Amino acid sequence: MRAVTEAVYLPLLFLTVALLGGLRIDDRVTFVPPPLFALVLGMMLFGVLVRGRVLVAEHLMSASRGSLENLNGLVVILATFFAATQVFNLVTPESGLPFLLFNVFLFVLLVNTLAASPDRVSVLRSMAVIVGAAFVLKFVVLGAISDPGETTLKRLMYVLLEGVTLGTLTQPRLHPVAGYLAFATLVLFLIGLAMLPTRSRSVALVKSGE
Amino acid sequence: MLIVMGDRYVRIFGLALAVCYATFIVWLYVRQPQTLAEVTGGLTATVGAYRIDQPAFDDALGLFRREQHEAARAAFERADPAGQDARTQFYIAYSYYRSGWGRVYQDNDFLKKGLVHADKAIALAPAGLVVDDPEISMHNAHELRAEIAQGLQVDASDFNPMRVFRPRK
Repeated sequence: MRAVTEAVYLPLLFLTVALLGGLRIDDRVTFVPPPLFALVLGMMLFGVLVRGRVLVAEHLMSASRGSLENLNGLVVILATFFAATQVFNLVTPESGLPFLLFNVFLFVLLVNTLAASPDRVSVLRSMAVIVGAAFVLKFVVLGAISDPGETTLKRLMYVLLEGVTLGTLTQPRLHPVAGYLAFATLVLFLIGLAMLPTRSRSVALVKSGE
Repeated sequence: MLIVMGDRYVRIFGLALAVCYATFIVWLYVRQPQTLAEVTGGLTATVGAYRIDQPAFDDALGLFRREQHEAARAAFERADPAGQDARTQFYIAYSYYRSGWGRVYQDNDFLKKGLVHADKAIALAPAGLVVDDPEISMHNAHELRAEIAQGLQVDASDFNPMRVFRPRK
């Protein structure tokens, strides 16, 4: 892997995800730190990435690398963890029943992915499905339910969720920009995961004296 | 630029950049700035380079002394757009106090806003802020905060008819 990717692009990508993951735009701009359960989910996702060889720790930190290279590797590992945590902070609803349901849903999905021992490509696909599904549920479905106006999707949800009081599902109204920002953040995260090193540098072993 | 730099320099540059960026992100989450002016002002204040707009502050002080509090607050906000100067925040709090004060009725909305700015002034001057101004009665940010907080409390003394004779500070 080129040094510039490991030292510059990957940390900047993941730190940007960590920054934008907690950004909430409303009447005022706020930066929301991750709830404790997002840390748990982040740690589980980190485990999935390591197990699926998306993040190969020895390619980023090992005795064969120099101290500066190991420091760069440590930054990438930490930034990946914080980005993973903030991604869950981003796609999880703020409160109430949806907060609980989303966390259970994500937890089960991650446990399932961990148990399956998938390869790198499968993990990347799985990540796209997990964050994509959570994005659609929060920013499209819940966003439509929480919208004070009468949209087609909201009427459809009334029919589908007949008997359920929508008051238990509604969330604070989302700013029109929030969905686009979240989408961009998730795409950045997936790009970052795909850019993580897959192979270490080849090392030629030469016997001394030959 | 990165292409012509050697690997070692790229790694050092990347490390420094990541540390600075991460520090900036932590700072944003801790300070919660609302505007770009607050971001830039907060960063310059961190390195001790923040300066208020002195002519705007002088204008604001003139308006404050002429009891034109709404205009004074607007001018104070213009003088300290990032909200990083303790003295300006003190005057904004004082202005809200005077707007909210009344002999028979007080406006709690003004007092609450005053309390926010008084707290900000105290936070910006942890060593204590004393404003040497003969035109005002309270010179200390803590004293101002206590006066505003007391105004917001409802107790038996609020129903004392002699209260109408109390002086405005």
